[in-house]
Amino acid sequence: MTTKLLSLLFLLFTSLTFAQDVTVEGTVVDQTTGQPIPGVNVLVKDTAKGASTDFDGNFSISSVPINSTLVFSYIGYKNLEYVVTNDNPINISLIEDAESLDEVVVIGYGTQRKKETTGAVSVVSSETIENLKPTRVEQALQGQVAGVNISSNSGSPGASSTISIRGVSTNGDSRPLILVDGNVIEDLSTINPSDIESINVLKDATAGIYGVRAANGVILITTKSGRKEMPLTVEYSAYGGFQETTRKIPVLNGTEYALLVNEAFAAGGQGPQFIDVASIGVGTDWQDKIFETAPMFNHSITIKGGKEKSTYAFGSSYLSQDGIVGGNRSNFSRFTKRGNYTLDFLDNFKFNVGLIHTHTNKRNLSESALGSILFNALNMDPTKSVRDNTGAYTIAEGLGNEVINPLAQLNGTFDRTKVNKLSGNAGLSYNFLEHFTVQTNIQANYAEVKGKVFRPIANFGSGKVFNIDRSEVIETFNIFRDYTFDALFKYERVFNDTHDVKVLLGASVFQTTGIFTGNRGFDIEGNRVENASIELAQDVESINQEIGFDPRFDSRLLSYFSRVQYNYKGKYLLSAVIRRDGSTRFGPDNRFGYFPSGSVGWIISDEDFLSNNNTIDFLKIRASYGILGNDRIADFGFVSLLDGEGTYVFDDNIISGAALGPVANPEIRWEKQKTFDIGIDIKFLDNKFDITADYFKKTTEDLLVVPQVSGILGVGAPGAGPPVVNGGEVENKGFEFAIGYTNQITDDLKLSVRYNVTAIDNEVLSVNTEGGFIAGGSFGVGQDPPSRMEAGYPIGYFRGFQTDGIYQTQAEIDAGTPINGQVLPGDIRFVDINDDGIIDDDDKVYLGDPIPDATMGLNLSIDYKNFDFSTYAFASIGNEIVRNYERNQPLTNRSVTYLDRWTGPGTSNSNPRVTTGATSNGLFSDYFVEDGSFVRLQNVQIGFTFNKLLENSKLDKLRVYVSASNVFTLTKYRGYDPTASTGAPIGGGIDQGFYPSPRTFLLGVNLKF
Amino acid sequence: MKQIKINSIVILALIMFSSCGDDFIDVDPQDPSSDTFFNSEEDYQSALISAYDPLHSTYLNVMLGEIASDNTLAGGESATDVPGIQEIDDMIHTSTNSQLRDIWGWMYGGVNRANFIMEFQDNIEFSGKNAVLAQARFLRAYYYFELVKWFGDIPFVVDRRFVLGEEFTLDRTPKATVYEQIEDDLIYAAGNLTYSASEAGRVTKGAAQALLGKVYLYQDKFSEAATVLEDVIANGPYDLLEDYSTMFENDNENNIESVFEVQYSDGEGAGFECLQCSEGNVAVGFNGIRNYTGPLFDSGFSFNVPTQEVVDAFEDGDMRLETAILDIDAWASDTGATFATGFEHTGYFNRKYISRQGDLNTGDANLTNPNNYRAIRFADVLLMAAEALNRGGLGDMQAQVYLNRVRDRANLPDTNVTGTNLTNAIYKERRVELVGEGHHFFDLVRTGRASVEIDGFQSGKHELFPIPLIEIQLAGNRWDQNPGY
Repeated sequence: MTTKLLSLLFLLFTSLTFAQDVTVEGTVVDQTTGQPIPGVNVLVKDTAKGASTDFDGNFSISSVPINSTLVFSYIGYKNLEYVVTNDNPINISLIEDAESLDEVVVIGYGTQRKKETTGAVSVVSSETIENLKPTRVEQALQGQVAGVNISSNSGSPGASSTISIRGVSTNGDSRPLILVDGNVIEDLSTINPSDIESINVLKDATAGIYGVRAANGVILITTKSGRKEMPLTVEYSAYGGFQETTRKIPVLNGTEYALLVNEAFAAGGQGPQFIDVASIGVGTDWQDKIFETAPMFNHSITIKGGKEKSTYAFGSSYLSQDGIVGGNRSNFSRFTKRGNYTLDFLDNFKFNVGLIHTHTNKRNLSESALGSILFNALNMDPTKSVRDNTGAYTIAEGLGNEVINPLAQLNGTFDRTKVNKLSGNAGLSYNFLEHFTVQTNIQANYAEVKGKVFRPIANFGSGKVFNIDRSEVIETFNIFRDYTFDALFKYERVFNDTHDVKVLLGASVFQTTGIFTGNRGFDIEGNRVENASIELAQDVESINQEIGFDPRFDSRLLSYFSRVQYNYKGKYLLSAVIRRDGSTRFGPDNRFGYFPSGSVGWIISDEDFLSNNNTIDFLKIRASYGILGNDRIADFGFVSLLDGEGTYVFDDNIISGAALGPVANPEIRWEKQKTFDIGIDIKFLDNKFDITADYFKKTTEDLLVVPQVSGILGVGAPGAGPPVVNGGEVENKGFEFAIGYTNQITDDLKLSVRYNVTAIDNEVLSVNTEGGFIAGGSFGVGQDPPSRMEAGYPIGYFRGFQTDGIYQTQAEIDAGTPINGQVLPGDIRFVDINDDGIIDDDDKVYLGDPIPDATMGLNLSIDYKNFDFSTYAFASIGNEIVRNYERNQPLTNRSVTYLDRWTGPGTSNSNPRVTTGATSNGLFSDYFVEDGSFVRLQNVQIGFTFNKLLENSKLDKLRVYVSASNVFTLTKYRGYDPTASTGAPIGGGIDQGFYPSPRTFLLGVNLKF
Repeated sequence: MKQIKINSIVILALIMFSSCGDDFIDVDPQDPSSDTFFNSEEDYQSALISAYDPLHSTYLNVMLGEIASDNTLAGGESATDVPGIQEIDDMIHTSTNSQLRDIWGWMYGGVNRANFIMEFQDNIEFSGKNAVLAQARFLRAYYYFELVKWFGDIPFVVDRRFVLGEEFTLDRTPKATVYEQIEDDLIYAAGNLTYSASEAGRVTKGAAQALLGKVYLYQDKFSEAATVLEDVIANGPYDLLEDYSTMFENDNENNIESVFEVQYSDGEGAGFECLQCSEGNVAVGFNGIRNYTGPLFDSGFSFNVPTQEVVDAFEDGDMRLETAILDIDAWASDTGATFATGFEHTGYFNRKYISRQGDLNTGDANLTNPNNYRAIRFADVLLMAAEALNRGGLGDMQAQVYLNRVRDRANLPDTNVTGTNLTNAIYKERRVELVGEGHHFFDLVRTGRASVEIDGFQSGKHELFPIPLIEIQLAGNRWDQNPGY
């Protein structure tokens, strides 16, 4: 009560002194970081009076009337108003406005205010990357951006991922074009994710500015740079932790295995393999022997700042990650150094330069293949010990030619790849006559990739395909170079405050060249890795003459492009692009292509009828259409070359000659995509909610297919082959929806929830090959490829026999349609789809496909006082996976599902009997196809920021956090990891013992000076 | 100063726009183009090496020539292990058999490579060109001979490559016409080559003559066959190897009995995705003992397993039996070796061509066995000469001489029968002398005995294999299928 009274008195007093002017002094800081913000505009409302903050965020304005309002504004922050009541110094905290409509997006050869974009462009900010702490950039996109699907090719350190934007639109190379500061980057493992300021994904015809390279979408990455008038800041962050496997596949233990083997041998008419089953016990758990808890750590430092006319940023980072299989034998390390600098020679004449150097070192293990380490751990005989009584690794006999002791295999693997890469860019821009700008940029990459493989003499058992009788070392040294040179001419002008016109004319040349060299040598002294080098090896030979190995390449692109953007009163938006590309990859008849695209937008919320609406803050609808190209096809498909393999043996020496290569197709051309998008962006309830929704349809035509041609043309000879022709069509249509809610509920509590979902329907419209399909992938040993691209089905769908349970009795077999005369009770009943009385290729049907019907992501973050909490989950629904990690030999181990096998009538109608005899149960059928849907809690992080402690230190910020990633996965899939995929358009989604993504626990710290 | 910089960037940009011509993207390929290739002797020699290469893929012809006969069964892991091989063994093969398509495609690959050289035979002159062309023509004859043996009438061009699109207009050429060209090619090769080659593995005069004799014999041209084969016997540098047991070992390649060998090596890796690319003898790994552990031999896939019947065809005391046939149970009990039984396990393996230890085991070790295929042995020449003389009524006494040379070496008594009895004695001798070497099916067919000897063999149908259905379709559905398919 007393305080209220006092307040009242105070108010009264102040109102009485209205005529009084004061000098207002104060400091402006960033609310989250507490760091001073220089250059903030401070304006006394409704007057011309004002000031800017200095380097330390301080300002001072004299003769300010009491009760007047100060307006604080700064780009990227929300405006703040403050009523002056006295002359006490004031402290202002500005809140960063990440969702601001003034946010700028990168759209290719320029930027645009997000409000005015007419295309489907998604942005991932540095904050997201900071939260996720990905070791590779791709991981920052997973589940964050609607329409972008990331499939990890492996969970091993440094392994690549496949990015697909809005579905799989080609049977060929579907990688998007990725530009880092304008520089073409094919391998994202060389980029330190924490150097990234923003990732912009161009998903629709907006990408058309990149013409023939745009059809798979374009990802534009901008690295962090300094800001003008920014004091020197040093940011250091470090994290460390450990990783473990998320899953072990339950397989039979020693006793279960021995009993099963005996049963199988008995069924095959052979005697038992294990007499004294009781003495076996649980045996060896090979997965336990293979998986380990593996450490990882990362250090990263960034120094940045800016003066009146220049900015700078430097950084360095080091990452080291061991693998959960093989520990440091699958280590990946990355050391990066970077710097960028901008300088305004004049207000209208600007210069920028940037440089990134990366060194990576990756040690490779055999993964995701028949006979890979995990495959062998699953199939290895559990009654065997790791080492025999002489101390040597136990030999795996009788388990098929590929299954060997996985620890012996691990121990005998020496394979590493080192990459040294330098990427640079430099640009000049000159503005003249107010509205004109001319700009040139050059970007270049130089990479050296050194590979070294040592294969020591090894005997893993008789007939094993991995046996080495003569030690061998292979050293490869490959160089990749490219440069892009752009010249841009821009005209930007607003007429009468209503007609906003921007015109871009540009030319670009791109050249990429490379050379592959390599040598193989034999007879390494002592069979020791220390001596494994070409210099010390015998019988050294070049490996360049090997099959299809062209040691050099040179491909080029010459492009002209223009973009016109127009808006009327900032409400009606229009953009049109035309690009002409010429490429060395296309035949002489089709050397040049024209790629038009256009988009329109309407900001409805700026119309009078909505401008006073209290609910809707912003509403825009937009549409785009364009013709884009995909030039990721092989070089020189248009000319008949002598690049076949002609190798024979004279005097016991292998010699090579010139041989005809694949049949030429002079008409070969790019793949052409017609893409349509219509979308809507809404913000409502005080900008707390935002929704973006898009419908899209993309038809890719002229897909490159390899049809079969008559054998008399000589296509069966080594290194020869049919011509590549443009002859396929695939359609992706779908829907994207993203909703976000952000609210500063109280001063202490901020909540943000974001959810996105993408549903894509993929259908192949035509394949102009004989039979109308292309087959791919592999299943089992010696079986037909299980995946197909075929009209009427999703690309890469699985095709095989449908099953209808298990034959329980001989009577059922007699009454049914057994696949052959060897079928006995307990075998799988295949369905005679066409009812012709025989089970053959014509009875194979669609069994699923690896393309999810829907993918989604959910992000939640809560900031409460000094605590921050974030979590993130993503899901994939409706994708199938083929279980192909079982070798199915009489003595290989099996999964525990075999405990529920058929052992007599009525015992099982889903799992067939076991036998060593010949059965058709291993033929590819729906028995091996599983639902791969999953929900994964990908990240949970809790952080605490100290500010009290720091008041007397030079530290501006100290934050510590703990985080866990890949926390758990809900799925029915029985293999290691439902994200398993090679990413291959035809043949993806087949699990051959996929290296699971590890679960990771990290402890980290962020410091800022 | 600043003005200069500014001007220079404007100029630079303008230059970019104006001067970067479309010729920037005219880049020559790194590999030579096929139409402008033949400019030196090296170019011809280089293309010739490549024409030899498809000989490697004839491993499949050899395997199937054995499996199709009554000598061996398909074997393998199970009834569904390489179904195409199983079908041919059971004489239930159809026009969709993928192994037959391989043979078709691989042999035409060889034809095209030989014809590629012949297409440009007049580009330049150099000494020794005749020898290059002679080898190319021998190889073309070899591949075409395989094609007519398997498929009868075939699409056929000479001295140029098949051109894309031509398959829609080209008809099957009667095999008599193809045989004429084969004979011409081999006569040319024999006339332009010497008995000794510059390098082991190259075609020689003797190889051309022996193949010519065989080609005549396949057409029942007994007198021509006898003439050319007796010429090889009389004038060639060949003789029977004294010790038959060493004949098929890797360290006895290109021995005195070898008239022509397909040269294999273990020096380069190979994979299942391109079996024809292997430099090794793929058949050897396929024939090998399943999951074998023990001395001397290496593991394999247990295909092509000899039948009891062929084992019984050896006379008592025939010392060739233990070289030709491995009795695995006896071997295992003698040596303690272990193995697994595959499909259609007979207890026997084709010992001439199964994996042995001692090679480099370059991966995939099953596909890179180095042992050469003894395509034409002097014993074969003697038996062919004997057959030509006997069946042509040209002299049974001389036929007996040749036959008995082969029998002597096998430690068997001389034969003195004549007429039809001699014919049958020669047939019997061919079977056991050459068992496992891929000749028997075609010997049975060309002598009209196949329907009697081979279960499931239908006369009027199985003499030829079907033209792969897809090849008929890819040529515009104009070719008639071989009878019965």
